[in-house]
Amino acid sequence: MAIKTKKILAPLDGSKNSIRGLDMAIHIARQSQGTVVALAVKTVPGIYAIHPLGFLDFNSMTEIKKLLSEAKVRAAKKGIDLTGKAIAGDPGYDIARFANNPKNKIDMVVIGARGRSSAKEIFLGSVSNYVLHKSKKPVLVVK
Amino acid sequence: MTASFKNILVPIDGSIYSEKSLERACELVDVFDSSLILIYVVEKSIPINLLDRKEYLTILRKFGTNVLEKANKKLLKKGITAKIFLKEGNIVNEIEKTVKKEKCDLIVVGNKGLGSVSRLLLGSVSNKISQSSSCSVLIVK
Repeated sequence: MAIKTKKILAPLDGSKNSIRGLDMAIHIARQSQGTVVALAVKTVPGIYAIHPLGFLDFNSMTEIKKLLSEAKVRAAKKGIDLTGKAIAGDPGYDIARFANNPKNKIDMVVIGARGRSSAKEIFLGSVSNYVLHKSKKPVLVVK
Repeated sequence: MTASFKNILVPIDGSIYSEKSLERACELVDVFDSSLILIYVVEKSIPINLLDRKEYLTILRKFGTNVLEKANKKLLKKGITAKIFLKEGNIVNEIEKTVKKEKCDLIVVGNKGLGSVSRLLLGSVSNKISQSSSCSVLIVK
């Protein structure tokens, strides 16, 4: 019986934990012959979404693109197809929205337990917690 | 490479959500060749009358063994053998203990259960497990 997880979403933020999550996603994708979608979100304060000058900050976008290309190399080593997506916005909200969007056909979200967001909860990162609660797809929390 | 899932723990409580998570766990067992551990926890922390307490607990125990047998039958149909535990005490604590004892790599839980104060999106037990467990958690929705 084939497992139903064909498309796996792995949100990235460049921290060690997110890399571990990516490794796990690649591992699962290999077992189930699926593909991985890496999603890197650039944090943009809400006000910039309205303010046009907010998007003049191209430097950090290149940082995220670098992150995605690194992830691509990592997946290619294991022979897994990886598509990268870069989004600017609020990480938790955008990851959950991306996962819930039926157009993207995500079957599972694999997320690291802690990222690098400043709000330090002791056990679980704020973004992971948000995605856990809001996603309608199964979520795997990697520790 | 990160460790593959050798032992998978599935806490069940007899709700639809736990059945769903059991199905998901079966798929994972097929793919990863891992062993399955089922657990039912009789909750003892509910403040109930002293007189009713014994009777209530025996009812819960009966219900627990029933649920476990049902799940085991389902698994046997698919050709999977599982270890079965019936524990008593606080749900989250007992699950944590068995995770440490049996060296589980993954917990598969449904997003809601039979808890009376279930939150809108994620149940209280699933939330606590995902917050405090030392191993990876898969939340089936």
